[in-house]
Amino acid sequence: MNKYSICMVNVAFINPFSDEARQIVREYGNLNTIYQENGDLIQLVTRSPSQDISDEETIPHNIMDLALKRIEWYVKKKNNPEFDYRKYSYLYNRNITNFDVIAFYLLVQAISVKFGPNSRESRVMVEAQGKLMESRMGELLLSEKREILGTILNTLLPGEVKWTMFADLLSSRKIKLTDLVLDQGNIILDKDYFMENLGYKLEHRDPGKMYDLLIGDKIKELIINRMIMQKTEDYISEVYQKSQRQVEPNPILLELADNVTEILNQPMATYGYRGGATGKVEASPLNQEAFPPCVKIVLEGMKSGGRNDAIILFLTPFISYARLYPDVFRRNTTLRVSDVDPELAAVEKEILPLIYEAAERCTPPLFEDQPQEKVNINAKMGFGMHSEIELKHEGETTWYTPMSCEKVKLHLPSLCKPDKTCKSIGNPLSYYIRRLTDLKYEEATSEEPG
Amino acid sequence: MVSDQLLKPATPEERRRYYREEWDVKDVPEFISNSVQKREFGFDHMGRGPNHRYKVFRNMDLLRKFLRYRAPFAAYSSVAFYEKPQRRDGWIKSELVFDVDAKDIPIRECGCEGVCEVCLNQALEIISSLIDTLKGDLGLKDIHVVYSGRGYHLRLFDESVMTMDSDVRGQIVQYLSGAELPRNEYAAEGVTYKLEHFTIPFGYPQVFTDRTRYAILHLTPETQLDEVNQKLLKDVIKNRELLEDNQWGIFRSKIGPQRFQKLIRSIASLNMALVDAKVSIDLKRILRLPSSLHSMVSMKCMEVKNIETFDPFKEAVPKFVYERKS
Ligand code: SF4
Ligand SMILES: [Zn+2]
Repeated sequence: MNKYSICMVNVAFINPFSDEARQIVREYGNLNTIYQENGDLIQLVTRSPSQDISDEETIPHNIMDLALKRIEWYVKKKNNPEFDYRKYSYLYNRNITNFDVIAFYLLVQAISVKFGPNSRESRVMVEAQGKLMESRMGELLLSEKREILGTILNTLLPGEVKWTMFADLLSSRKIKLTDLVLDQGNIILDKDYFMENLGYKLEHRDPGKMYDLLIGDKIKELIINRMIMQKTEDYISEVYQKSQRQVEPNPILLELADNVTEILNQPMATYGYRGGATGKVEASPLNQEAFPPCVKIVLEGMKSGGRNDAIILFLTPFISYARLYPDVFRRNTTLRVSDVDPELAAVEKEILPLIYEAAERCTPPLFEDQPQEKVNINAKMGFGMHSEIELKHEGETTWYTPMSCEKVKLHLPSLCKPDKTCKSIGNPLSYYIRRLTDLKYEEATSEEPG
Repeated sequence: MVSDQLLKPATPEERRRYYREEWDVKDVPEFISNSVQKREFGFDHMGRGPNHRYKVFRNMDLLRKFLRYRAPFAAYSSVAFYEKPQRRDGWIKSELVFDVDAKDIPIRECGCEGVCEVCLNQALEIISSLIDTLKGDLGLKDIHVVYSGRGYHLRLFDESVMTMDSDVRGQIVQYLSGAELPRNEYAAEGVTYKLEHFTIPFGYPQVFTDRTRYAILHLTPETQLDEVNQKLLKDVIKNRELLEDNQWGIFRSKIGPQRFQKLIRSIASLNMALVDAKVSIDLKRILRLPSSLHSMVSMKCMEVKNIETFDPFKEAVPKFVYERKS
């Protein structure tokens, strides 16, 4: 045991699907107590290291509050650049594990029953769980982290970690196929499995040592994180299926579900894209005047080769980010299209028409001989490989960020015709932001009398 | 003798004879016939490329009639399954394919102009090592081998990969072909260790070792490699028999660590060409239809049931070739 740790970390703190977590759920008594003022919880929260207790609002008083705080933490962290993590320090406090697990199950049940698996609420739940695990792992000591990872790996069934489950991690290059140790389709993570199935092949080397060298902590953590997210998703579907056969859902759960929606409806109004004072650029209708030379060229239609790449890899990410999330490179969070455009109205009415027009102006018109390229446009906006844009497919692919000038010069050299603004930027999107601000300034100053 | 009649283009009359007398709709593999309505077909009628596209068939009998009457120069079908194949719309999934063309093998022993028995054989060796990796490392099933007329296609129907995007397919190609230099530094507890790829007998380092050994053993004094000069090439060839029983350590020290690094770097980039990556990452590619005639070389494109015994010069030569007057 490490002398710095307050107490051992319960694996349930990281993995709500562990036996330890299920034990906690079994031992928890009456559901009605989740509304009651919980002195133990309040004490744990207020005594969490570096917890900000100046504002009564930040302290959860019962398990219901705690459940909502988990969601609020995620939403604020993602959308608010001035996110103050000291308001949520207790979420990293391992001593809240018992309450935290109950809060997790309440949330999942509430969301599944009310919204089902393909909802925005479910998606947020799954992502929040992934992020929370990531942040909690980040707070652990290396030795603790290893122990937890080891414990979780031990509980995985043989053959459970197929590499094919992680296509999205590969596609977004978070992991590389060549960095994984693969055997019979499995990603080798577990030490015993390694020793049994591969270790004997090693001559003159200590298999244990080789395991430590070859199977890095980072890959383990990424994979386990993704598996817990997957399990959360599966569990949501399972609960949803069961709830379809029941008569009346528990009103407590329905109320919790409504509160989750309320939190999700706040953020864009309260946190993101507000005010020029802090230098943020809000999502707003496109101003084509501010487009960089390269984008203007594509919009006029590609007359020669490179049609596909220009429209799909270059234009689609540019237009969608310029319209919806121009700040992407200045803020360290990834968003999905529907986070900004929940009804996909801007996508349908502004973004796609512009891209389709540019495709139409190509010689020959892009969709005339390759209508299937529409699928790729959808894919680059994060909606998977489908011919229609539908929320239920969002996340199957990633929303590609715009190419840098360097990449444009390399892959689509005919597009780059730099002007003087280009000298000070590295990405066509930054060009756009720069020009937008300039244009606004020009407008403002020209209105000034005298 | 057959040989001097081989690899000559088929005349329109020979094509017609092939489709009327020899070809049978039952020769089309099941992996096509069971999905015929979902695929786009493409045809080349004049020998100028497959410009008759977007063709669909509601059933195999219509395909049979079409081939009988039109006896095309070449026939293709999409690797993609669509809801509306006639518009290439409503993409559902695509086979994962690997194309090994005998004339594009990076290091060819034969040095022939087009394709010959030697390089076709080499292509089959490569195919068989790819299959080993696909099964052993990646755990994939439902793999079919097709002789294309100038090389081989691997076509995978494993559901777990059929919906993967181009990026992931590209990484699979890299993994299979040994196109990326494996890292040789590994860290644990803040200490960095050097581990050469050949000391790790599994996973990607093993794949890289296998592909690289294969390449080195097939080098000829004429092979051009970036970064490898004549002197180095000579030394490699002189010492390469060490690799036949995996004496990599000794081989490396004979060559010298610096030069060894240069060598494997060049080989890695050469390995990229083992498989035509463009084909693998293209989700809506059309591939030559197995059982159809490759008219350019007068050979049948056909599914290979047993790669151990397959000999294209025995099994893929249409009857009309034997009846040609020399
Ligand atoms: S420098 Fe960048 S922004 Fe300017 S034209 Fe070239 S690619 Fe576009
Ligand atoms: Zn040859």
